[in-house]
Amino acid sequence: MIDDFIKEITDQTGEVYRVKKCDEAAETLVNIAQEKQIIKLIASTDSVIRRIDLAGVAAKSGIEIRTAGDFKDRDAFKAYAFEHADAGITGVDYGVAESGTLCLVHDENQPRLVSLAPLYHIALLPMKHLVPTYEQAAAQIFSTNAALPSQVSFITGPSMTADIQATSFKGMHGPKHLIVILLGC
Amino acid sequence: MQTVSLFIPCLVDLFLPRIGEATIKLLRHLGLSPVYHETQTCCGQPAISTGRTSQAVRAARHFIDVFKNDEIIVCPSGSCVYTVKYEYPELLKNDPILCRQAAEIGKRTFELSQFMVDVLGVNTTGASFHCQAVFHESCKNLRRLGISEQPKKLIENVSGTMLLPLKEADVCCGFGGAFSVQFPEISEAIVEQKVRHFIDSEADVLILSEPGCLLNLDGYLKLKHPDKKAMHLAEVLCRTG
Amino acid sequence: MQRFYAARAEGYPLVKINTHRFKEIAKEELKNTYSRGFLDIFSQFFPILRKNAMESFSDPQEALEKSAAIRRDVVARLPQLLDAFENNAANNGAKVIRVKDGREANTVIVNLAKKRGIQYVTKGKSMVTEEIGLNQALQANGIDAFESDLGEFITQLLDRPPFHIVGPAMNVPVEEISDIFIQRAEMKTPTLDPVELGHAARVYLRNKFHHAGMGITGVNMAVADTGTIINVENEGNIRMSKSSPKTQVSVMTLEKVVPDMQDALHLLRVLCRSCTGQKLAAYVSMDSGPKKTNEIDGPEELFIIIVDNGRSELYKDIQSRQALQCIRCGACLNTCPVYTKIGGYPYGWAYSGPMGQVLTPLLLGFEATEDLFRACTRCGACRDVCPAGIDHPKMFQAFETRRQERKKIPGLNREEMIIEMGFVIWGWLVTRPRLWELTARLTRKALSLPALSEPLKRIDGPVKHWTHSRTLPHPASQTFREHWKALKKAEYDR
Repeated sequence: MIDDFIKEITDQTGEVYRVKKCDEAAETLVNIAQEKQIIKLIASTDSVIRRIDLAGVAAKSGIEIRTAGDFKDRDAFKAYAFEHADAGITGVDYGVAESGTLCLVHDENQPRLVSLAPLYHIALLPMKHLVPTYEQAAAQIFSTNAALPSQVSFITGPSMTADIQATSFKGMHGPKHLIVILLGC
Repeated sequence: MQTVSLFIPCLVDLFLPRIGEATIKLLRHLGLSPVYHETQTCCGQPAISTGRTSQAVRAARHFIDVFKNDEIIVCPSGSCVYTVKYEYPELLKNDPILCRQAAEIGKRTFELSQFMVDVLGVNTTGASFHCQAVFHESCKNLRRLGISEQPKKLIENVSGTMLLPLKEADVCCGFGGAFSVQFPEISEAIVEQKVRHFIDSEADVLILSEPGCLLNLDGYLKLKHPDKKAMHLAEVLCRTG
Repeated sequence: MQRFYAARAEGYPLVKINTHRFKEIAKEELKNTYSRGFLDIFSQFFPILRKNAMESFSDPQEALEKSAAIRRDVVARLPQLLDAFENNAANNGAKVIRVKDGREANTVIVNLAKKRGIQYVTKGKSMVTEEIGLNQALQANGIDAFESDLGEFITQLLDRPPFHIVGPAMNVPVEEISDIFIQRAEMKTPTLDPVELGHAARVYLRNKFHHAGMGITGVNMAVADTGTIINVENEGNIRMSKSSPKTQVSVMTLEKVVPDMQDALHLLRVLCRSCTGQKLAAYVSMDSGPKKTNEIDGPEELFIIIVDNGRSELYKDIQSRQALQCIRCGACLNTCPVYTKIGGYPYGWAYSGPMGQVLTPLLLGFEATEDLFRACTRCGACRDVCPAGIDHPKMFQAFETRRQERKKIPGLNREEMIIEMGFVIWGWLVTRPRLWELTARLTRKALSLPALSEPLKRIDGPVKHWTHSRTLPHPASQTFREHWKALKKAEYDR
């Protein structure tokens, strides 16, 4: 299943890194940021991201990392996401092997624009969150008696289009690059 | 000897009787005795497809009357067979007796290549025809009657005939009955594409099993590419040399 | 023609409807070699993409039958499913507004925008909003509507109808796009590179997304069970319109509803494969109500507008209802021998190809759309690829029958009169074999006499149209019937 998932993602031009432990994930993140010249990062605060010592990453590498709570209001958050952040980093609730799809449940810890506005989307996916098909993810999200999430996004590869003379390219309105860090932890 | 009733489309009667003649030859060669009811006229397809229900019902009634006592009915046109098998029950749904008769007759009505391969279990006719050929898959045969492998198998077993692949063989030839005269420019564009694929294939002959398609393509070829030929399957299967 | 005269009378911005000009525009488009080049891509490339993608199902045929069954079920239970959707969506905090027609929809949306001081909206691709002319209505009220799907953005700037359901501007040359982007999309340097043009659009529209107060989207599916709306896209512009502005308005027609999430997931798989040959589009976003209190982005208000615009009327006829099964995948366009020669413009409205030929006559009436449902060879290729189980050729035949039933003799032109007479005679002869045979022989005689056949080639009629690009079929010297009789006589004499 993991191999299927990785193949699907790379077919979409996504990059995949595999790490066993969370501190390795932090190190990988630093390397990616250096390689891609990412200086400003906007991050979710979901349960997966919280396993990474982002403050430590910021301190060590000099990357500026912001979360929603750092902004005084919606407009300030949006300004950063649209105009400053080079990359957005999120956890992933479910990874779906059948098409290499990342499923994000949006709530106060998972703002929508983090995985949408910047040119890079870095996604942290624990291997335990991998499921074979969409149904497993949907069953858990949609059949509880609790209130439904305001939005769920299924992300398969970077943003793309072929609307001009059937010429296909990535990075139309959403991210141009998708990087997935598979966590063994 | 088993008798087989010939259902000869009106287009064949008027413009392409050689297809009917070839059908007789083939059936006799296979040890059958073809009979032709001279009272037959038209299955009614033109009236059905243009929504003229009352005229279509007249045609259907007459057809049933002519063919109701036949055990096997064979026709060198898939679209006519389709009309009898699938359009008649719908057309006659308000008359339960006629409708049932139509359904019964439909079970006994076969397109020629389907009859030869699926019913008689015949793969070859001993014909010979030295040529390179391509085969056009007529819409009703392919999509409605499931007839595609049968004619190709028969063609492949004609001695000396090499069956080449035809690009977009399953795309419509642009006839569509009334369509060809209601939208002549669009029809021409579709025919033109089919003929272009034929020419690009470098085959000498374009084989089809549908008289309407044949008239369409033959008419176009005669005007624009007189050196290229279109033939009906039945004619090819009778060739010797 | 009644409908849009009525709209004109209301003084509301007129949607350009050109269904009555089908033949004329088709003839023009046949000569457009540039567009024909792109149509070849649709006809040759897309069906292969679709087929390969469908192979990822263990049984592709079964997958199509299942999606068709879901859509048939939806149409059968449409009123109940819509009620369930409305209830559940409202429970999620969405505001659901049902509107009777386009005029009402536009009024509601314009008022929503005005009340909130909205100066411009960003729009995701929505065919229903093209159907009702929402952009024109907003514009007429001083509110700009920026189409944000790249293809829609281009056709909006050029004021052109959509060329294809999925690629509305795919046939537009890069030179034209470059020019219009410089004129109206703040692009600085001309370029012929599609990627650079895309980037220019990204920059321009990004600014609009950032500061938009209202985002308007369509709806691909509305899940009745959970009150969830689903959007499918590759670019991210719909997610933008659902994330950045404080107000989201999502517009749907009745038939977008699906029973539950399981059904929706199956349809998503089939839709994406049928449409672009993808397993899943880049972004599928599912909204169940507006944002929650502590969420920093997303809409504070979510309005779901359910538009009828003639559909509940259409629904009353059991046969016509089938049209509502369509999921707008576009597979029928790519396999249609007619569409792939003429492109989208001749169909004259928001919907083109076979699905447009089914839906448009039912919504606009048969008078102004006759050529639409006749422009079909009845090959059935569309029916065979349709994941929603629509039998397009059968519907066209039904339309012909209904049109015939309503036809009034005085209204016919000369060519139509000749054809009517022809069929009356045909209907009379078909049960009279001897006279049928006689007529066949007379026809043969007539066609072989240049004095008779030549004039026929000049009068508007079947002969003239046939001989436009073909020789007249040459009647054989004997009909088959005569040949048979001769054969029998020879055998008898022996």
